[in-house]
Amino acid sequence: MNESLLWQVRHFVYNHFADTTYSPNVEDTAAHFNISPAEAGELYKELNNRHAFFLEPETLTVRMAWPFSAIPTNFKVHANDKTYYANCAWDMLGIPTILHGDAVIEAICTESNDSVRLEIRDAKIAQAALPGGEDAASSTLLVHFPLPFARWYDDLTFT
Amino acid sequence: MLLFRSEEWIDKWCKRNNLARGEVITINHVWELSKLWYQDRLSLDYHGRSIEQVQEIFRQAGLTSEFWHGAG
Repeated sequence: MNESLLWQVRHFVYNHFADTTYSPNVEDTAAHFNISPAEAGELYKELNNRHAFFLEPETLTVRMAWPFSAIPTNFKVHANDKTYYANCAWDMLGIPTILHGDAVIEAICTESNDSVRLEIRDAKIAQAALPGGEDAASSTLLVHFPLPFARWYDDLTFT
Repeated sequence: MLLFRSEEWIDKWCKRNNLARGEVITINHVWELSKLWYQDRLSLDYHGRSIEQVQEIFRQAGLTSEFWHGAG
């Protein structure tokens, strides 16, 4: 395994997400690096094995390149004139972090189904608002981590 | 990791799904953790993290209980 190429592919996939909001397929990645799709597929599998990103089971489709999600979720992030989806409540804050910029986040609170709007400005949570514009002290919004760190990779979709 | 409006809704969710409660931290705390965790993720130099590096990030974020230990 070419370690240098492996991490270049990781870098390419992540930056493709950042630039476009979606992941490159194996053929796009192969063409970018002038390698065969089979070789690119092996690199994808290795990166999946190393938890660098997460492939849909039994496929070569990138589902999660943290914090980015390839499928719509309850965590929508508007930044850089684009709309991204995050994998979870932590990752919705990871997107403005990874992009090093401001963002507006629209999320749904679990169980109560309240929608929440967060504004990230100048590397701070500048505002949090609940339905009807009710201001939510952001300290009252909570994130629940259901599994201890040692079990995060047992079932990434649940985590 | 799911977002909740209050502790009450976390308890309802755990009960409905018959799951034990995990760790709960405020969104402001998660924001600080996020900055430590994700700031370098687009860099070509990012090659994943060792367990020790992960534990150091948790420590810097003030997350030091047993919940945040382990192999991951």
